[in-house]
Amino acid sequence: MWTIFRKELADHFSSSRFLIMLCLIAMVTLIITYMAGINLREELSGGSKPGSAFLMLFTTSGRFFSLSQFITFFGPLLGIIMGFDAINGERSKGTLPKLLSQPIYRDAIINGKFLAGVAVIAILFTSLILLIAGLGLLTVGAIPGINEVARLIIYLLVSIAYVAFWLGLSIVFSILFRSVATSALAGVALWIFLAFFTGFCSSLIADAVAPVDNQKNTQQVIANREVKHKISLISPVNLYTDATSTLLNPYRKTSKSFALLGPMERISMNRFQNPLPLGQSLLVVVPYLTTLLSLTVICFGAAYICFLRQEIRST
Amino acid sequence: MRAHRIFLFSLCFIAVNVMLCIPFIQTPGSAAQKPERKIVAAFKYPGLTVPSDGKLKADLVVKNKGLTDETVFLEVAEKPAGWEASFSTYNKTVSGVFVGEESKKSITFKARKKDADKKLPTGTYHFRIRAVTEDGLIEQSASLSVTVVEKETREKTIGLSTSYPMLQGPADTSFEFTINVSNNSAKAGLFNLQAKAPAKGWKTSFKPAYEDKQISSLNIKANKSKSVKVEITPPRQASTGTYPIDVRVWQGEIEATTTLKVKLTGTYNISCNTPKGLLSAEVEKGGDTTMSLLVKNTGSATQKKISFVSFKPEDWQVNFKPKTVTGIKPGEMKQVEVSIIPAEDALVGDYSVGVKAQGQKASDKVEFRITVKASAAWGWIGVGIIILVIVGLAITFRILGRR
Repeated sequence: MWTIFRKELADHFSSSRFLIMLCLIAMVTLIITYMAGINLREELSGGSKPGSAFLMLFTTSGRFFSLSQFITFFGPLLGIIMGFDAINGERSKGTLPKLLSQPIYRDAIINGKFLAGVAVIAILFTSLILLIAGLGLLTVGAIPGINEVARLIIYLLVSIAYVAFWLGLSIVFSILFRSVATSALAGVALWIFLAFFTGFCSSLIADAVAPVDNQKNTQQVIANREVKHKISLISPVNLYTDATSTLLNPYRKTSKSFALLGPMERISMNRFQNPLPLGQSLLVVVPYLTTLLSLTVICFGAAYICFLRQEIRST
Repeated sequence: MRAHRIFLFSLCFIAVNVMLCIPFIQTPGSAAQKPERKIVAAFKYPGLTVPSDGKLKADLVVKNKGLTDETVFLEVAEKPAGWEASFSTYNKTVSGVFVGEESKKSITFKARKKDADKKLPTGTYHFRIRAVTEDGLIEQSASLSVTVVEKETREKTIGLSTSYPMLQGPADTSFEFTINVSNNSAKAGLFNLQAKAPAKGWKTSFKPAYEDKQISSLNIKANKSKSVKVEITPPRQASTGTYPIDVRVWQGEIEATTTLKVKLTGTYNISCNTPKGLLSAEVEKGGDTTMSLLVKNTGSATQKKISFVSFKPEDWQVNFKPKTVTGIKPGEMKQVEVSIIPAEDALVGDYSVGVKAQGQKASDKVEFRITVKASAAWGWIGVGIIILVIVGLAITFRILGRR
């Protein structure tokens, strides 16, 4: 397995596809961070720095969108690009039977390929975040505390798991579809659907199930929002968004984008405005994290089962 | 004979004429009849009775009845032995006076016994004065008889009065009485002030009416009075009741006393706290927390009933057990259990929950910081699911692997 892992890793790093991806991501990230940094510096000038100034580097949207939003939408693309030809690429090149004739177990191939993908993603993301952190220190001058570093590490792990889900999904497609183009298309189509269309779908369904006649009727609005939120959670993109936004913003006390607060409750909460401890933030998003991680593992499991049960020598 | 008749007739005529003419002649002649020089000096009241502690004073009038201005010198012609007498106008001692034509002047005649300090010896005394013009040609004298009687000395020479001898209020305030001290004697004097505190811990002080100084004595001129403030501060823990305060003003052997009264109605004060002073609590979502609240009566009056009010976010429950506390005596303490149940859908984070104890004329507030924590149950469920999935994967590995 480790031979496959090493070989795949070497393949990834030497491929021009990876190089292009790396350049693209690095460029976009640098621009975003720079924008966010300048934005932040303007916002923070004068007042004292809030405790989470460093984390705001990742969540403040500059001119377009923040880094966390970028990873939410384009991280899946990275996973798909790295996994869409994992098996059927070998198959079309005719190297798969050759590989299997070597004294290696069949599951080592799929494990190695998946792990190599995850490793590449991990390396990419870690370096990316370190780069941004360095740039943030330069532009904003915010020094992260232990709590913020811990939040960042958890964010990194969650992001890796998220992209690993898409990697696993694209590997499944690459096993199911013989054609490389088809599997790539399937992956991209699913990505577009989950990332962009679930939002529309969920609001459509929510309006049908819990219609809002009067915008001032808070109960109706809340019911509508609840339904919409629950339906949108079908998409791992939304799962990831909700989980990370709460993780990266210690002042955020709920994963929901919409919460009903009574006037007394607001006064009562405003009395003590302090960030949540990391443990509490984690507990708030634990269902999301669990679902995301489980999805990733299940996806990989599916790829594993499909690959092991497939007839290889049919071509 | 005929000639005799004519003579007689003419004589009569002349006589009648003269008689008729006399008033006509005399009327213009009356001014001319006013003497060229005439002065009058007389006492307005030639007989006087004065008290022994009074002063011997008599008004002397000098009148010019002549046609020329006169300067009149006055001198005492007769006086009792050992007495001295003088003339004065306003505050000047004089020995003569200028009296213009047809005018008069008033002069005060004063006399006193030389040795006796202020008091006049009783008895009847005769004085005679003489007024002499400058050239000594005209002289006039007047006499005065004075009887000095022993005046009864007044019983009190210090007067002490107050308009409001009784004041009422709670024990945590100070009471201010105003007393009026009058000096009824003929002498200015220094008066000592003293107030007797009704019990230990009471503070009394005297202050001038419009100044913030503490004084212990004051100077009052003869027959004048001054008002003095008496400030009385009871100790905070003084119990309710009426307290008399004896105020004494004395000068030498003479003294005057009065009694001021303070009616204490008691103070109303309560304080709330927790046994350890901890004002924060953590509560898991869906759970509840109970805190002990100690209510202490820090006033000096009994609190008949204390009820509790809470300031809380919507849908939260704050319950008190018991709901009201009755009959806390001063200094006593009672315990109330406060249970706080956050709303089902409360967000995690810190909330402020206020608790107010509302007693009689007093209240106290305590603010709790309630930290709502996410339920850890979901965390364990999540870990369980992940473990389940990984176990599933491991089983898949075992069944399908190593082919």
